[in-house]
Amino acid sequence: MRKILQLKIVVVLMLFTSVAWSQTRTVSGKVTSSDDGAPTPGVNVMVKGTTNGTTTDADGKYTLSVPDAGGALIFSFIGLKTEEINIGEQAIIDVQLKLDITQLSEIVVTGTGVATEKKKLAIAVESVTADKLPAAPTASIDQALIGKIAGAQISSVDGTPGANINILLRGVNTINRGTNPMILVNGVQMGATNLNSIDLSTIERVEVVQGAAAATIYGAQGANGVIQLFTKKGKSGKLNIDISSGISQNELLNIGGVGQAKYHNFATDANGNIVDGSGNPITLDTNNTMAYTGNVVYNALDPVGQFNKPYVGNLPYIDQFKRYLVGANTVNNSISLSGGGAKSDFSISVSNNHQQSNFKGDGYNDRTNFTTNLGFEVIKGLELRSITQLVYTKNTINFFNQPGYGGGSVIYNLLNTRPFADYDAKDVDGNYGYRLGDAAGVNGRNPNYRYQFSNRNDNKVDIFQNFMATYKFAKFVELSAKYGLNYQTEEDRNLVNNQSAVKNAVSSGAFVSIYNGTNQGEITTFSNKTVFQNFIASATGVVDFEKDLKLNIPIKSTTLVTFDYRKNNFTQYYTYGLNLPTFTPFNASQANTFKVVSDYKEPFVTYGYLINQRFDYGDVAGVSGGFRSDYSSAFGLGSKPFTFPRGDAYFRLSALKFWDNSGLASRILEFKLRAAFGKAGIQPRPFDRYQTLGTRVLGGATSLYYTAAQSNPSLNVEVSSEYEFGTDIVIDLLKGDWLKNLNLSATYWNRTTDNAIYDVDDAPSSGVGTVKSNAFSLASHGLQLSLNMPILSNSKFNWNLTTNFSKQYSEITSVTNNGQVVVLSNAGSSNYVLRAGEAVGQLYGYKLLTKVDQTDPNGNPYIAPASQANYSVASNGYVVNNASKQPLGTTDLYSLGNSFPKFNMSFINDVTFMNFLSFSVQFDWVYKSHLYNQTKSWMYRDGISKDYEKPITINGETGAWTAFYRGVYQAGANNGTKDYFYEDATFLRLRNISAGVDFAKLFKLPAFRKLQLVLSGRNLLTVTKYTGFDPEVSSGPSNTSASSSAINTSAPGRTSNSAFDRGVDHSTLPNYRSYQATLNIGF
Amino acid sequence: MKKIKVLSILLITAVFVISCKDQLDVKNPNQPVSSSINTENNIAALGLGIYAAGFRGLKYGGFQGQFANDVLSYHEIMGDVIGVEAANVYINQLGMPDVVTLDNASQVLNPATPNTQVALLRVINKNSYADQNPVYYEWAYMYALNNSCNAILKNVDGITYTGDADAKKNTLKAWAYWWKGYAYSRIGSMYYAGIITSEPYPGVLNNNYVSKDAMIAEANANLDNAATALNAITTVADYTKMINNLTPTIFPTPPTIAMWLANINTMKARNLLVNKKANLMTPADWNTILTLTNSGITASTRVFKALSNATGDFMSATGGTVALVAAADPSSVSFKVSERLIQDFKPGDKRLTNNFSNAVTGGVWLGNSDRGNIFNTRYKLLNNSSGVGPAGAGVAVLANRTAGSGEFYIGPSYEENELMKAEAKMYTSDLAGGLASVDAVRTFQGAGLAATPVVDLPTSLEELRKERRIGLAFRGLAFYDARRWGVIDPVSSGGGRSKAVVVDKTGHVNTNAVINYNFLDYWDVPDNEIVYNPPSSTSAPTSNPRSN
Repeated sequence: MRKILQLKIVVVLMLFTSVAWSQTRTVSGKVTSSDDGAPTPGVNVMVKGTTNGTTTDADGKYTLSVPDAGGALIFSFIGLKTEEINIGEQAIIDVQLKLDITQLSEIVVTGTGVATEKKKLAIAVESVTADKLPAAPTASIDQALIGKIAGAQISSVDGTPGANINILLRGVNTINRGTNPMILVNGVQMGATNLNSIDLSTIERVEVVQGAAAATIYGAQGANGVIQLFTKKGKSGKLNIDISSGISQNELLNIGGVGQAKYHNFATDANGNIVDGSGNPITLDTNNTMAYTGNVVYNALDPVGQFNKPYVGNLPYIDQFKRYLVGANTVNNSISLSGGGAKSDFSISVSNNHQQSNFKGDGYNDRTNFTTNLGFEVIKGLELRSITQLVYTKNTINFFNQPGYGGGSVIYNLLNTRPFADYDAKDVDGNYGYRLGDAAGVNGRNPNYRYQFSNRNDNKVDIFQNFMATYKFAKFVELSAKYGLNYQTEEDRNLVNNQSAVKNAVSSGAFVSIYNGTNQGEITTFSNKTVFQNFIASATGVVDFEKDLKLNIPIKSTTLVTFDYRKNNFTQYYTYGLNLPTFTPFNASQANTFKVVSDYKEPFVTYGYLINQRFDYGDVAGVSGGFRSDYSSAFGLGSKPFTFPRGDAYFRLSALKFWDNSGLASRILEFKLRAAFGKAGIQPRPFDRYQTLGTRVLGGATSLYYTAAQSNPSLNVEVSSEYEFGTDIVIDLLKGDWLKNLNLSATYWNRTTDNAIYDVDDAPSSGVGTVKSNAFSLASHGLQLSLNMPILSNSKFNWNLTTNFSKQYSEITSVTNNGQVVVLSNAGSSNYVLRAGEAVGQLYGYKLLTKVDQTDPNGNPYIAPASQANYSVASNGYVVNNASKQPLGTTDLYSLGNSFPKFNMSFINDVTFMNFLSFSVQFDWVYKSHLYNQTKSWMYRDGISKDYEKPITINGETGAWTAFYRGVYQAGANNGTKDYFYEDATFLRLRNISAGVDFAKLFKLPAFRKLQLVLSGRNLLTVTKYTGFDPEVSSGPSNTSASSSAINTSAPGRTSNSAFDRGVDHSTLPNYRSYQATLNIGF
Repeated sequence: MKKIKVLSILLITAVFVISCKDQLDVKNPNQPVSSSINTENNIAALGLGIYAAGFRGLKYGGFQGQFANDVLSYHEIMGDVIGVEAANVYINQLGMPDVVTLDNASQVLNPATPNTQVALLRVINKNSYADQNPVYYEWAYMYALNNSCNAILKNVDGITYTGDADAKKNTLKAWAYWWKGYAYSRIGSMYYAGIITSEPYPGVLNNNYVSKDAMIAEANANLDNAATALNAITTVADYTKMINNLTPTIFPTPPTIAMWLANINTMKARNLLVNKKANLMTPADWNTILTLTNSGITASTRVFKALSNATGDFMSATGGTVALVAAADPSSVSFKVSERLIQDFKPGDKRLTNNFSNAVTGGVWLGNSDRGNIFNTRYKLLNNSSGVGPAGAGVAVLANRTAGSGEFYIGPSYEENELMKAEAKMYTSDLAGGLASVDAVRTFQGAGLAATPVVDLPTSLEELRKERRIGLAFRGLAFYDARRWGVIDPVSSGGGRSKAVVVDKTGHVNTNAVINYNFLDYWDVPDNEIVYNPPSSTSAPTSNPRSN
């Protein structure tokens, strides 16, 4: 719709630009796209220098009266290169329009409110069209965005089907609410549905504004930036039918070669059998306990202990990863119908994505999308549009395998299981054992058992209905109203069988449960419902001083006035029924203990208005300014609105006369400077300002008490202020087919957040734990670059390279009372500390000594000189005690660094040959990001890591000394955070590679518009020094505020985008490598 | 026409804006606000809330998650009633002695880094250790408890009551002062310094730390205030109504006024006993204890106790207390029964056979020796889910994982009172009286042991030591005893434990081992407090001067 609006503006402008000519003959022709040869409807065809023009019809055809002699026709269309053709004597002029690779004629609306050509933008707006979005196996829009947005850090941090991605647009602007940007679809906020529920095939283009300067128009909720999706709509003409079917095979990555040691140092008998404390070989007692008959005898700190005994005899080696981490399939199917008449258009599509879990025996995530987009021109100038998206998601992946479960997940259990433990074994009754005793590993649990006795059925329905009406007056004013209703309801039902007759559950006291402390099973239901509404009314006034006011100055004024209203209602109802019967089937009504765990409502209302005034001086320069004022229930009734100002300006030097005259114009086709300033906000959570008492049911009575986490009635909005400077340059490079030109877009930005909210610790003697405060000031700056080059372009071959670059840094500039805020993570034991002068998400820890005479910050040696002779540097570079073979940690904590990369880049190659062959490759490079490898730390603790096999030389003796590796775990403090596990997670990843052949075009099959086979691969290659599974993962939760009353037990997908906890790998499921084949058929 | 349209749209918008304003008045529909403490029922709910605030739910979760199974586990670990291999919150290291000398004179050193408990506590008592700092928990629970009491005291007089208002007010005051006294008692009995504050949240922090002795004095003053309030009650029926409000089903029948006064006396006796080395107690001290315990809890006195239930309102049936956590095979539970507890049973004690078994998986449970040096064990605590153990009815049951049957003695008990009385009698030359009290406890718990003959003071004290170990096991008093008897002191200073039963890492049972625990006697104030509430210049020292 915005495009139509823009077209009309362009048409209107053109109508006013000139003098009428006499018309004496007719020219006709057909306009097609050079891309696929298809007719291009809606192209503007104008006689140069006149207001005389027309647009092409549904078949791309036009007819136009032209002057009897001379003249030229100008063919223009958004996204295509404008062509100028001298009429001469021709009566038929057919034109092929090429894609405009400079993209300066591209129209964007996000962050501007009014459709604006990119060349007249004063802010950075990134945009990607659907054909540039790779079809990831998830078939969702989120995964497709990775690497595509210059300036952004978008990463796939968890390989669990249905997991969310991490999105960091410009800097960390809030700690309270994570880094999630606002998501708009066709101009309306999508406040309930997750980005990963949106079917990629329904999306036509994506626009992203990252900074506050652009996001001011979204006010108190815009500070994290905005991602706007535009869904496909039908084009007038004949009915198009598109069918797509694809299958992919996914296998989890293990880039760092994580593995379990093939050797051990347990006490053994003469035959190599592993024995228990009584000297008897350990066996698995399948008759009674379904556990090992005793614990292994093993002293990891024994200075002569080595991992050098093979698993022979009673307990053979089992490759647990190979057994339980298996390849899985994803199947995608979609069908869409689209078309339209003169006054209406429609697009309807249905798609299904079915993704199997990569754990043997686990469930799947299945998503079905139904999308319609219907448009009508009711009367001239009044357009109505209805866009409906229905999403049904069913997830049966085990409760404990959901993203963010870290410490309880199957992968954690496998990592912490000794490699001889046989989880496939069953007892005499045919049941698995859950915990096969200490011998199997202190924290190891059997995944088979989980799947045998528990299952999950999570059903989620998303409805996103948008209605839009636009009325365009003949002159000056356009009115539009949009209403969006986004509804999500989810019921996550977990059934745990009664296990009271299961031998291992009885003997080991280990059984599957979520709430039940006994082995008698439960039915637990997590219900969440969100109803989000967004209403937007806007009026746009355009006045051209020259044409409308007959003033002799080329100034155009654009005024935007918008009112919008958002209302959210989130409810949560969690229940459990404990102690189930042993017969089947059964339901919760047969449970004997029933409890409502959570009955929670969270209403939220906010509204505001925006006034923005813009002046453009011809094509040369423009300036705009405005403000937005917001009211919110999170501020409280009667509170003053928060007002966010903005302003921007651009100046196109290349549009000046002198540029043309100076000769620069032949080399530098476009040179624009731009600058913008703006403020945008992040609201407190709905109840952050409401002080309440906690309640707890105690044996039939309900008690009141002061909870550990307290809200704060005097909280303010977190306000992020930003300025950005940028330039857009197009340089003409070589003549000929190679490297014709270069498009560079660069933006430097700098922003600060005042009043960042967080739960600040209070002294325990106050009686509470934390109090919400506007505690932090944050500062970020960064650089984003986008470089686009046609490497080779001629009539047959097009090879285009896009390079996206992002560099950003965020730090805490001050904390209330100069305090420190400790935030929990899974990184060792020292956690993150947020304090002034440090980056957000800084990790502190011990260092292992690398020099015997190493000194502390005060210059004192860590090892007293008299004792230094007892230590030496081992062959792996660490100082060890010669007698104990243990390494030595500092007693001081050092800042180890933070997870955020120094920069990240993507290199995207798109190649087309003729019109039937296409090929694309995308590399993502993340430089100097860091991960705390907590996964490895835990594998060191129990002597499970295969690192234990690596021999090292200590004081002349070489061996796989267990005391060293176990010593690493406890250097400084047991499980203390230390530099040994803090790793450079730089990686270069072949994110996407695909090749497609369109047989319809290759063999000119008349029945098909398209018959394309695409073979693609994702994450096929990763180059990194990181020693964990995958350098891209992060275990951080989204639950960045400990005090949210909503329980975050379930709700998969709500587990990403923490502002600070992004640098720990704690048994997080890696991404997967996938091979995909897709058949796309179009009629 | 068009103008009308524009105007009408603008008008609609304006109406919309105006009508929106009321919608901003969104309250939290889920929770009451603090101003709701304005009725008799609501202040009673706040009174009941001391259990929620003070015993479960801090900003950090800890290992087991509650006061009764987390904080008290530290006491039982350091008192060598249980051993732990799990390293969460460093609790395995809390219980690691410096050195264990085995029967063959070989020495097993503390395998951890740092390798003494004292040094460990200094390393991990840091604010940045957050939930991994064990020093934080007892302090934070008790100040949350204190806060609830302060809020009751602040509001109690401003509310209208039915019936005898004074009786109800005094009941609530007694309740608040009693729990305030309890909180201060625990702070003064565990930390080197404490804070006295009567300001409910949000109040002004008091940064004038006082010594542990001053904390105990303040604790006793609050207990006296409770007694004063109780003594002022004239309408017993209204006392009963109010105390019943404060005692829903998961707590046993509440005490009468007289019984509560007895609880107060026993609590004051404990405060004196556990905060002075036994060998430093004066005859006057012992006489004070005699006086208090003589008016303390008797076998029929109702005490402050909580029960498990299926929904785990206050404590879960399977893990609400240290004993409930421990009650299964050592290979499957976090808390393992200490060999030193078992060796303190006298032969023939039915409580041993009723509650413990040596039928553990593999015959002996051996933990990873890099995680500890004394937790190996041949015993497990039984879950007597029927309420009756192998030794039959009438014998004390330590752990019953059936919902409703798990018990947690929050305050002092009859056994504790009687054993304090016994000790005071022994030290005041009434050996027969002292041993009679020991026997009374054994009889009360169904031990089935013969009466103890009088020999001399050392043998009497040994009987008392054993009975305190056994009769009060899992009630959170073991560390206090180990401290006042000097067991946690270095062997070089006459501390430690000899003739100890220790199962070494190979499974060999030593019976003459020497354990040099060397634990810190009073913990430093948690750094979590110090960072946000730095001590004033006039504060008492907040850390224990002991450095190794």
